[in-house]
Amino acid sequence: MSIKRSLLSVPFRFCNMALIFFLLIGINAFAADPEVSDSEEAVKAGESLFNANCKTCHKLDQKFTGPALRGVSDRRDIAWIQAFIKNSQKVIQEGDPVANELFAEFNNTVMPAHPFLSDEDVMNLLSYIEFGGKEEVAAAGAAGEGAQAGAASGGVPSEYLTIILAVLVLVLLLILIVLGLIVSVLSKYLNKQHLDEEDKEFINQKTDFKKVLKSDAFVIIITALVVALVAKTAIDGLFTVGVQQGYAPTQPIAFSHELHAGEKEIECQYCHTGVEIGRSANIPSPNICMNCHMHIQNVGGKEGVSPEIQKIYDAVDNNQPIEWVRVHNLPDLAYFNHSQHVNVGGIECQTCHGPIEEMEVVRQHSALTMGWCIDCHRQTEIKTAGNEYYDKLVQLHSESKDALKVKDIGGLECAKCHY
Amino acid sequence: MKIIKSIYLVALSAASLGVVSCGASGDDQGLEYAPQMYHSVAYEPLTQIQNEEAGSWLSNREDGKGEFFNSNVHNPHNMNMREPVANTVARNQYDMLPYRLKVADLEGANAVENPVELTDQVLADGKRLFTQYCSPCHGDGGQGDGKVGEVIGGVANLTGGAYINLTEGHIFHVITHGKGRMGAHGSQISPERRWKIVHYVKQEIQKQ
Repeated sequence: MSIKRSLLSVPFRFCNMALIFFLLIGINAFAADPEVSDSEEAVKAGESLFNANCKTCHKLDQKFTGPALRGVSDRRDIAWIQAFIKNSQKVIQEGDPVANELFAEFNNTVMPAHPFLSDEDVMNLLSYIEFGGKEEVAAAGAAGEGAQAGAASGGVPSEYLTIILAVLVLVLLLILIVLGLIVSVLSKYLNKQHLDEEDKEFINQKTDFKKVLKSDAFVIIITALVVALVAKTAIDGLFTVGVQQGYAPTQPIAFSHELHAGEKEIECQYCHTGVEIGRSANIPSPNICMNCHMHIQNVGGKEGVSPEIQKIYDAVDNNQPIEWVRVHNLPDLAYFNHSQHVNVGGIECQTCHGPIEEMEVVRQHSALTMGWCIDCHRQTEIKTAGNEYYDKLVQLHSESKDALKVKDIGGLECAKCHY
Repeated sequence: MKIIKSIYLVALSAASLGVVSCGASGDDQGLEYAPQMYHSVAYEPLTQIQNEEAGSWLSNREDGKGEFFNSNVHNPHNMNMREPVANTVARNQYDMLPYRLKVADLEGANAVENPVELTDQVLADGKRLFTQYCSPCHGDGGQGDGKVGEVIGGVANLTGGAYINLTEGHIFHVITHGKGRMGAHGSQISPERRWKIVHYVKQEIQKQ
């Protein structure tokens, strides 16, 4: 009995010690100045202040643009915190050593002044910083999982179609095999019966493949098929001469539209600045890349500088142009203007350039042939609403049954594009 | 007779296969019907062939270079485009003079007034321009929660107390020259478009 008791008590004591140990860690991690209130009200007031003014630069438990904030009331005086939040530059210029050290550690990033926050506001902020935001980590994890599950359930899984097809083919093959087996079993059985010569011949007849191969009908069918196939490929091929649809050259920098325009939802016009005001959409100069890439040096939060992003830095440092390879090229005989289509016509970029936000490497999506242009000019209606320029045209066109389309205002005139 | 027939057939299939490879894919631009039309002789802003030998097989140029070569040898890096001559001023429909305040003169910017008259059309334009140029970082509502902003970090919440009372001139100055972690956007957005964005930020995002 006594042995049993002592055996039980050993792990029990370990448990106790572990509990105390973890409690101590907990207390250490969330140490806060006793002046900071942990009341729900203060935390809530602090949260809205934090979200409005601090969130974009500070996280509670993680270094971001500014330092991680939890435990700040333990690290610094309340008075220091209030002074720094209200006007950090003033504290730094007064020569406060801690403030200057922080300023240098975070690359001299200036924290905006917040003179509109009262002392009470700062105390509420501190309440949130020390005691708030603990559910957020768990919630973020759950949200992430939820989003993943949602993505999996949405959309039509195209690979299922292939699987269904494969299964169907397999079933057909199995039926063929079974049928073959039945035929052989039946003929074996019939051979054992006493039958007439004629019936026996019928059962044991073999297909004469040589005869079939040499028959006129077979030769004619095969020849016709081959000629048709060859003619079709030849004609198809001829139609691709001078059409660069599908051209997807390797670029000097492996820039991904899928990442920038798709995942990060940057509008096309942010980089292609000429698209609404000029003939060309423009390829951005590196200073536009640098608006973001002076801060983003690698993809997916990895450490170090990505070799592809390094190429932008080299181009900027050496004042050397990046030699992008042109994808879309119209021959000199045709004139095309982006602003006319995007600004006046209100056409989406994707109408001609395809699902650019899904392209890892840019590919010429449309044929860019004259037939392709004309086709669109015949079908596209003009947005006349709210544009005085079209008033007279609409009036003239009002007798026609069809809507006013590009073709009706000269969209098929030769000299519109060829001059 | 049979031999001739099969020769015909082989020739025809070879020709068709040859034509099949005319299409473009990957790095292959495909066969051009009239190469001189695809490769401009004139200097083009976005097409530039640096290789002097390119297209020499059909060239009849007097300088002996390839037909496709179209770089300007007199410019730095043989580029076709050059920056405008220093101190030239582009004409614009608003008769706006160039913005002369330098980066450091943020205080002076407070006194600059918005020359673009506020109309519904201007606000609509401002909204569209804000979505194009600002929302990747600042978010659609200006709260600093755009998808790019999340990665860059330190994006201003335009509705936050530190920003809500800024003058229109200040906002214009910051769009033009950048501030803190924000880069200069003056090269991307023309002045009158920047003023339209300022109107939208003040009227709609900051509701003032």
